[in-house]
Amino acid sequence: MVSYSKAKILVIDDEDALRGAVKRILEREGFSVVTAENGARGISLGTTDEFDLALIDLKMPDYSGLDVLREIRKHKPNTVCFIATAYASYETAVEATKMGADGYILKPFTPEELLNHLNSGFKKRVLILEAEALKNEREARLLEIAFERTRLNTVIKSLADGVLVVNTDGEVVYYNNAALKYLNLQDIVIGRPILEELPREIQDLIFANFTSEITEKKSFSVEVEIKPKHELVVEATLSPVLRQSGKLSGVVIVIKNISEFKKVEHLKSQFVSMVAHELKAPVAATLGFINIILNKEMNLSREQEVDFLSRSRVRLGSLLNMVNDLLDISRIEMKTVMREIKKLDMNQIISDTLGMFTADIKKKDLTVIFEPKENMPEVRADHGEISRLVTNLVSNAIKYNKQSGRVEITCCQQKNYAVLEISDTGIGLRKEEQEKLWGEFYRAKNEFTKDITGTGLGMPIVKRIVDAYSGKIEVESKYTEGTRFKVYLPYNLTDDELNN
Amino acid sequence: MALIAIIDDDPDILDASSLILQTKGFEVITASNPDDGYKIVKENKPDVIILDVIMNEPDDGFFLAQKFRREKIMTPIIMYTSISKTLGMQFDKGEMVPVDEFVEKPISPEQLVAKVLKFVKQPVEK
Repeated sequence: MVSYSKAKILVIDDEDALRGAVKRILEREGFSVVTAENGARGISLGTTDEFDLALIDLKMPDYSGLDVLREIRKHKPNTVCFIATAYASYETAVEATKMGADGYILKPFTPEELLNHLNSGFKKRVLILEAEALKNEREARLLEIAFERTRLNTVIKSLADGVLVVNTDGEVVYYNNAALKYLNLQDIVIGRPILEELPREIQDLIFANFTSEITEKKSFSVEVEIKPKHELVVEATLSPVLRQSGKLSGVVIVIKNISEFKKVEHLKSQFVSMVAHELKAPVAATLGFINIILNKEMNLSREQEVDFLSRSRVRLGSLLNMVNDLLDISRIEMKTVMREIKKLDMNQIISDTLGMFTADIKKKDLTVIFEPKENMPEVRADHGEISRLVTNLVSNAIKYNKQSGRVEITCCQQKNYAVLEISDTGIGLRKEEQEKLWGEFYRAKNEFTKDITGTGLGMPIVKRIVDAYSGKIEVESKYTEGTRFKVYLPYNLTDDELNN
Repeated sequence: MALIAIIDDDPDILDASSLILQTKGFEVITASNPDDGYKIVKENKPDVIILDVIMNEPDDGFFLAQKFRREKIMTPIIMYTSISKTLGMQFDKGEMVPVDEFVEKPISPEQLVAKVLKFVKQPVEK
């Protein structure tokens, strides 16, 4: 509410006597009066100061009252203006009213006439101001709502998850672009029915919501394969929207892209079944032997029994190796390995590793070339892991080598890396074999490898260790001629980098 | 005398199954990969084929079985499998899998002989 206890009035008249009289009358009635003795002064006051009312003489030497009126109305449209004149003509009255004069006071006037006019003028002024205030308030509110709506809209539009709101008639109320993408739809139109375009699973869920009595706000989720082969799998979560009366007004469907998660899940179950199969083969072979040995009808000779038992022992030994390798892999992957980061002497590790294989090297009559480099900076890493890495690579270089072949090992510094190079003159790898090399349980199968035992986990372990130290590994190989592995281990890793 | 062909890439399984069947008086030929397996079947026309389901690749055994059937080699096929239970796969005799019988590894002499005897007569024991 706007309330003015005291009206402020501007009196513009060139007649000094009249101006003074009016001022006295009005001040006696409680008005606050400012006077101007000519049009210029009137315009100057009336356009800068805020007056409730203005009383403007029509005939002044410098300006016409209509000019003064126009100027005041232009700058202060809410000031209630009266034109005062000694000779009234209809035309002037009309023109003044057109220009926004609120009234016309005929001279000479009695104090009562003046007060009547001005009091009603003041009431009008109050109403104008109230209306103005209301309008301003409403505009402010509208602006606020519009802003709020834009902001909400922007937020929902930029969500990574899809949002689709459907009313009980099955019409789209709201959606964002992610919804379009994850439902693989060309177009969604607000106000149009959508149910039939949605995947069956989501439709069913919506119908279930529409048809059942909903007493509590509860969400339901369903997994939907939008594009096959894990290319696009989404999880749609449906929540009812209830009116204040408790009646259902629609549903909000949030659509989350879970394709990556499903891919990983699939890889994991593939890995598990692969592991199970790999573990079962030696168990099955061993149990097969035992079944035969224990079966009286088979009538085995002592030699046959010993043969089967020692073959069982070999299979069980390889099973144990495999289980150990798997434990290593899971230890590295779970990142719960307690790494003991120490400065390592790579030359020492290589020499120690070669020492472990002395018997195998002799048996194959291999030439091993390794000349330790002086002044190698020390690599900061876990001794066990780096030894394991070197062991796996050296073991392969020996196992897959030819009789009387060569193994060459170098370790040197290249920029920020310690580069370990191990090359052999072994059976080599075909191109397709090189690509599969890092996969679990992959073992190249050809005429050379059939008698070589292995778990198929050696290279995956090497890869994981290299990755754990932010290093890289390269392989060059020529089938039947040999293979060269190059491992890059970075120096100067901080403790944080090492623990990640 | 009944001739049995065993095709499996695990030499231990190959030797154990051969011994069981030989002890029961069957004649046995073996191969350790699908290509050799195909050859020995074409050349020797065995009375029963025992085939491992996985050799170089998963499904090798199935592909070989399908190849035999496509070429109208209708010799009874017993499939060795070590995966049905672990993978939760349900194998059924039928059009999809053109084999006649399954033997789950590990093999036991009684079971293997019983399955083979479904298709051929018991030879006179040695």
